Amino acid sequence: MTDVLNRTMLASGTAAGGEAVSFRNITKSFGANTALDDVSVTGRTGSVHAVTGENGAGKSTLMNLLAGVLKPTSGEILLFGDKVHFSGPKAAKQAGISTVFQELTLLPNLTVAENMCLGREPRRLGFVDGAAMRRSARDVFARLDIDLDPGSYCGDLTIAQQQMVEIAKGVATDARIFIFDEPTAALNGPEIEKLERLIVSLKAAGSLVFYISHRLDEIFRFCDTITVLKDGRHVATQPAADVTRDGLVSLMVGRSLDRFFPPRSATPAGQASAIDVEDLVAAADAPPVTLTLRRGEILGLTGLEGQGQREIIRAIAGQMTPLGGVVTRHSKSGEAIRLPSTPVAAARAGIGFVPEDRKSEGLFLPLGIDRNIGIGMMRLSSLWDRARVDRDRLAALLAGMNVKASSPQQEVQALSGGNQQKVLIGRWLAAGVDILLVEEPTRGVDVGAKSEIYALLRTFVDEGGAVLMTSSELSEHIGLCDRILVVRGGQIVDEMPGAMATEEAIMTSALTGSAQDRQGMQS
Amino acid sequence: MAMLETPRERPGYRLLSAATALPIAYVGTLLLLLCAYMFRPALLSPMLLMLIIRQAAPLGVAVIGQSLCIRILSIDLSFGGVAMGVSYILTSGYVPGNQAVLIGGSLLFGAAVGLANAFFIVRLRASSVIVTLAMGLLLTGIVIAFSQFRAPGDAPALLKYIGQTRIWNVPLAPLVWFALLIPIGWYLKRSVLGQYIDAIGANPRAAHATGIPYASVVVLVHVASSLFAVVSAFLLVGFVGMGSLDIGRDLALNSLAAVILGGVTFGSGRGGILGPAVAAFMLTFLFNLLTSFGLGEPSKLMLQGAIIAMAAIAYSARTRN
Amino acid sequence: MIGGSASRSSRSGIGIITVALPLSMFVLLSFAAPSFFTGQNIGNISNQIAALLITSLGQLIVAISGGVDLSVGSTLSLTSAIIVSFDPSIVIPLALFAGCCIGVVNGVGVAVFGVHPLVMTLATATFVQGLTFLVLPTPGGVVPPAIERLAESPISGLPGSLLWCAAAILFFWLLLSRSSFGLRLYAIGANPRNAALNGVKVVAPIITCYVLCSLSAVAAGVFLTARVSTGDPTVGASFGLDSVTVIALGGVQLSGGIGSVPGVILGAITLGLATNGMNLLGVSPFLRMAATGLLLLGAISLQRRKTIGV
Repeated sequence: MTDVLNRTMLASGTAAGGEAVSFRNITKSFGANTALDDVSVTGRTGSVHAVTGENGAGKSTLMNLLAGVLKPTSGEILLFGDKVHFSGPKAAKQAGISTVFQELTLLPNLTVAENMCLGREPRRLGFVDGAAMRRSARDVFARLDIDLDPGSYCGDLTIAQQQMVEIAKGVATDARIFIFDEPTAALNGPEIEKLERLIVSLKAAGSLVFYISHRLDEIFRFCDTITVLKDGRHVATQPAADVTRDGLVSLMVGRSLDRFFPPRSATPAGQASAIDVEDLVAAADAPPVTLTLRRGEILGLTGLEGQGQREIIRAIAGQMTPLGGVVTRHSKSGEAIRLPSTPVAAARAGIGFVPEDRKSEGLFLPLGIDRNIGIGMMRLSSLWDRARVDRDRLAALLAGMNVKASSPQQEVQALSGGNQQKVLIGRWLAAGVDILLVEEPTRGVDVGAKSEIYALLRTFVDEGGAVLMTSSELSEHIGLCDRILVVRGGQIVDEMPGAMATEEAIMTSALTGSAQDRQGMQS
Repeated sequence: MAMLETPRERPGYRLLSAATALPIAYVGTLLLLLCAYMFRPALLSPMLLMLIIRQAAPLGVAVIGQSLCIRILSIDLSFGGVAMGVSYILTSGYVPGNQAVLIGGSLLFGAAVGLANAFFIVRLRASSVIVTLAMGLLLTGIVIAFSQFRAPGDAPALLKYIGQTRIWNVPLAPLVWFALLIPIGWYLKRSVLGQYIDAIGANPRAAHATGIPYASVVVLVHVASSLFAVVSAFLLVGFVGMGSLDIGRDLALNSLAAVILGGVTFGSGRGGILGPAVAAFMLTFLFNLLTSFGLGEPSKLMLQGAIIAMAAIAYSARTRN
Repeated sequence: MIGGSASRSSRSGIGIITVALPLSMFVLLSFAAPSFFTGQNIGNISNQIAALLITSLGQLIVAISGGVDLSVGSTLSLTSAIIVSFDPSIVIPLALFAGCCIGVVNGVGVAVFGVHPLVMTLATATFVQGLTFLVLPTPGGVVPPAIERLAESPISGLPGSLLWCAAAILFFWLLLSRSSFGLRLYAIGANPRNAALNGVKVVAPIITCYVLCSLSAVAAGVFLTARVSTGDPTVGASFGLDSVTVIALGGVQLSGGIGSVPGVILGAITLGLATNGMNLLGVSPFLRMAATGLLLLGAISLQRRKTIGV
């Protein structure tokens, strides 16, 4: 009944707010990790529906289920009242669901027009109609006020331009439901305004727009309904008008930071440096960066996504060759050495690097826990040496970190995200390094393991180590770091003690200034 | 340490996974021996078995090198060219010097080929299949072109001795094989190098990011691989007693088949040194069995292709689950 | 990375070297080898290049999908063996059927089971070579006249090889540059995951590539056998690596997504001229083999990949 009703309403084009998409008791697990736990959300036609929450809350996972990229472990998805099972992204597309993915999905070797029409190319006499492709691309660009040549290859575009093409591609299809997954990560002010106009027009046409973001500004500007997820669970769905900014933040965070994070050291960090970075040029067009990491402190590099934090920490870690500058490492005894920028040199110098993507860059998934950690213990050995793995130390370490595993030989791929992250950090603890460079210390880690990892890092610096970290979660910086450096446009623009930092203060520094500032950096 | 109960840990599952994780070579060898027992019991006489093991020795030695390459996600298909080059150096009579010089020269030649392979693979990041195939083509072409002018001569006496002598009825060649196999297997289990090789095989990007000297390991493995091919050619030349352009023609493909059958797979970081060795015996036994059934070269090739394909598919399907 | 690259890219893969190599080879040969321009030699070259070009065009589409097919040589040999060994009326359908089977096995192994394309096609290459020896143990046999006529031109003065090449070029050019299959293939080769996210099916097109590649090897086999008028179970032996050399010389990226028909034509001319030139200059055929190996090493060294390994 309702099904027929909804369809009639759609056909008549009224934005009456009927049920368009309904997630019912959705659970999604990846191995031992539960990304979504019994989530039920309903999206209505003619609405812009924000889905928000911290990183790892399950926003993107929920949307990937609707986009046909993932299949739910249990629960069902209803589309205009009908149960749907998408076999893949194509099936979801055909059902009228258009997705602008968080990561850019453009093919670099296809032109803008080709990318926009991929999968539904216009044909003439059986062949692809290139002129029609370019025409339709131009039409969409005109509608969105985008100035781009449809014939240029996507590999030649800037990230911001690519993001606009992604948005245009999503709109170009004949869809009733749109998913925008963090579409503004690389956009500047005027471009965000274009996006706003677009979203308003989609809403007016009776479409349902899911808008995934954790930027409060945009949520309140664009959206009429807000759903908050936290740690894979549904927290609330409310009209935007009924929610205040502070209320939303507390819904998103929803726990006391004091209990969650270990207390900072009573005695402030000394002035002894662990690493001095001088005039480091991490990437082309990036300004030189100078910073000092002191012993006994956790130092955070924060800022909006893609402002150069990643490049700085990777250049210090030797993961990428900087274009200039000097990295000096001071040992505990006060000896200073200049670091050549290779991973081998960093490991030998007692610097451990924990990458954000632990599965592809950190762990040896088919190998056991013992061997994953054992590799670290060999950092000073030559190839010909006997591989010595101290079993007692390993067992003590695993017990100390509370790693949940059936045996030390268990394959790392069978562990949950939190235990995997502990193994990765444990590798460097076992290696006896005294400096850790950590990207996203708790990405994809469940809540319980999060606070254990925080405690692990705190103990590490209390014992004379030093940690430099990046994180896309501001709360993590505020709760964990002793000192926070704010990066904007590849440059350190502000420094604040962690104990006094607030989300507002960091965001102000990260955004300071005008749109021109950000635009200048992106072009 | 807390216990975590997952389906993977239940005894039934463990037993099943242990059985399916066993290299195909073990099961295959048993089946072949059974088949021989029923239809060609003569093949199982100690005398013939000993001969088959002797015959398997050159392949077995080459397989050690190939398995090292596969374990670091590389491959070496230049064995044929290396074997031909060695045969030429040893028997053409063009290279001056006594047999020690000839043998030393062959080893140097092998090391040079390995270095060249590694240079293209590490420095220029070219595909190892293409590089080593091209290298094989290059060496084969040069050797054949040069040896057209003169019939190959005798093998050095030392190699003939190793290839043809028996001590207390045990041929010497397999002893050379085992003398290489056992210490190397032991060394790879115990050394830092062995740990690094497994880590690179499991995840090359992580290995690089973790500070494992990736390039050095790849160079070492490729040099070692070519040296094993040289030793394999020593045994082959020793068997025949003189040079031949046919020497080592099947070495690359057979060693690849043996490594896959022996349970070493791309990207799993798994696989010991014993599985491929058993597979080398299995393949040699299989070819003898086929010959005893009157099947010729064509069926051997077809079987070889089918075995590589099916083993590769079986392992891929297994690792995907 | 902040900002994008400034250079304008394309997916043809044709660079300065791709064009300069055949040109300089041509100039060099016309000076060094006086017999280069004789009518007979030009005929020879076009025959030699035709089979290579047809095979390489098949190799091209597999390469664009991100794979490689080393079994084309055996497939070519099998075609030759089939033509002289069975009843003339069924040899062509039989060869095409064999080609389809080989392609499907390769494609399913790669796209469905995830076996590395080199391992998979090396395995089928070995199997098919064995099968070929089973069909025809030694060179010989008589090619049916009807098939011999296939390689001749219906128009006098125009060599048959040219028509074969033209047909193959037209087919693959339309497929890659004008069909939606081609466009999607480029997308799959560049990034299969992203292509799938854009609603492109991945498995079926890859299998199709391997089938088309095997069929082009069959076509090359029919042409070559008709030309030499006899069967040879090893006639295709060099074609596997030669076709890879041709596409590498033609600027095709073996990692997928980059490559074009014009590039492959240039690559085939380069390798064809190099082989012919050495032939005219009296270089031993085995040294020519070595030179091909060297050329292949050089060509793939020009392509920098992101990963080290297979």
